[in-house]
Amino acid sequence: MSIEKFMRNAVTGWMTAHDEHSDIVMSTRIRLARNLTGYHFPIAFTEEDAMAVDKAVAGVLLDADDSKYTYTKVADLPELERQVLVEKHLISPHLANPDRQGAVILSEDETISVMVNEEDHIRIQCIYPGLQLEDAYNQANEVDDHLEKELPYAFDEDFGYLTSCPSNTGTGMRASVMMHLPALTMTKQIDRIIPAISRLGMVVRGSYGEGSEAPGNVYQVSNQTTLGKTEQEILVDLGNITSRLIAHERNSRELLLAKSRVALENRLFRSLGTISYARLLPSGEAARCLSDVRLGIDIGIIEDIDMSILNELMIFMQPGFLQQYADVELSQEERDIFRAKLFRERLHAERTSASAEKSSEE
Amino acid sequence: MICENCKERPASVIITQESVVGSVERHLCDKCAFHTQTFHFDPNQEPLSIQQFLSHWFSGADPFQAQQQARGESQPGLECPSCGLTFQKFLDIGKFGCATCYDTFREKLPHVLRKLHNGHSIHGGKVPVSFNEMYAVKKKIEEIRVKMKVAIEAEHFEEAAALRDEANTLKQHLAQGGGTSDVD
Ligand SMILES: [Zn+2]
Ligand SMILES: [Zn+2]
Repeated sequence: MSIEKFMRNAVTGWMTAHDEHSDIVMSTRIRLARNLTGYHFPIAFTEEDAMAVDKAVAGVLLDADDSKYTYTKVADLPELERQVLVEKHLISPHLANPDRQGAVILSEDETISVMVNEEDHIRIQCIYPGLQLEDAYNQANEVDDHLEKELPYAFDEDFGYLTSCPSNTGTGMRASVMMHLPALTMTKQIDRIIPAISRLGMVVRGSYGEGSEAPGNVYQVSNQTTLGKTEQEILVDLGNITSRLIAHERNSRELLLAKSRVALENRLFRSLGTISYARLLPSGEAARCLSDVRLGIDIGIIEDIDMSILNELMIFMQPGFLQQYADVELSQEERDIFRAKLFRERLHAERTSASAEKSSEE
Repeated sequence: MICENCKERPASVIITQESVVGSVERHLCDKCAFHTQTFHFDPNQEPLSIQQFLSHWFSGADPFQAQQQARGESQPGLECPSCGLTFQKFLDIGKFGCATCYDTFREKLPHVLRKLHNGHSIHGGKVPVSFNEMYAVKKKIEEIRVKMKVAIEAEHFEEAAALRDEANTLKQHLAQGGGTSDVD
């Protein structure tokens, strides 16, 4: 398969953002945790419970002539495809375990993903490109209403939606925005900001997993608490923090440009050189360089690369995608070689065609 | 690391199990931890996950348990009738086993939830439509009861009887978990 076609097929809706903040906010995600009454939570339930829950949820979403959903039992997928779903953020690493009796119900454009029998019976997830908290919530809420009409939810007057983990009790909602914050990271301001944000009931972490280190300077900001506030209040609070982070990031970028332009240019172009010509590209280095080049494009230092290529490469540099494209299992060193090759091809192809377009316009 | 017990799922909980030969560290998945009998956590584990957070904050220093022991009651009283989870175990694994757990531990939960949710323990967000409808019926019944009391005091017994019938119909409705066509 040609790389262009592979990427077209594999890129999902949320990976292509085009709004005013899309240079900094990459995507918005809303997740609602729900459980049915009458069955133990997945941590304690039997295989029969698992099957009954699965059947009930799938029944509601798939049982319409115009259903836009497809159902996939996670255990039926080969390991590599499960990994790719995780890397696309469509299922959690937890659900990817084939022993879990888990399933995922995906909308056609993959903006809606309903995980069945993850930590809770139902996890509705909507991912939108850029900063779209309201839209993503409305979409998730619609799916929630649809399910609730047919299924008995576990709900309590005092505690709200009853979830397996007490950290989700209440709204069951986790709203998060993925942000690219290279200037705040370079200037070390992020170290001061993260604790300040956590005092506001929000949490900042690296975008892939729980660790605090952020590969590629991509951070996920989300609400920590789910109890006591309405969904709208949580979204407004998160939106405000996001706006402030955007403003901080923009300020830092300007400051960097004003104070140390040459050093910055040097760093960003060196990174561009690395991803354009390297023969071995470990994922950490690839993420760091992509972040630099992305920043270079955002602030107008690097001009002849399309941002969407960078978004794609950020996704495709991950092990699952790489191996799926290579169509063979790769050792770590083989992956580093293959990643370097992929980057060279992609960037080179793009830059020749960009300059070809330019010269044909002249 | 893989769970030592089932050797299938990834280990997500590290527990220190006391035995005759001393303490043994075991790495278990959520599910096996849920079904394991007795253990306690090593609070020095990093990073601080929910279960470690809970056991750190509440285990040992659980004020409820301390009260019970002070009154000479035998240890842990509450056990979920549906899934068998005890409150102590809830603190250890940091997860509920079923919706009934919330009812079982209702008294103790605000204390725990406030720690996790910036001081909040009462839900303020979305309410499912079906629950709203049920709630409306309950409220209607309460209103009717008040009117009934007034009617009886005024010795309007016929009106009181009519109101009683109305309330009974609504109660039957609730018992059937059903609709709300006669509620405005
Ligand atoms: Zn296990
Ligand atoms: Zn229970």
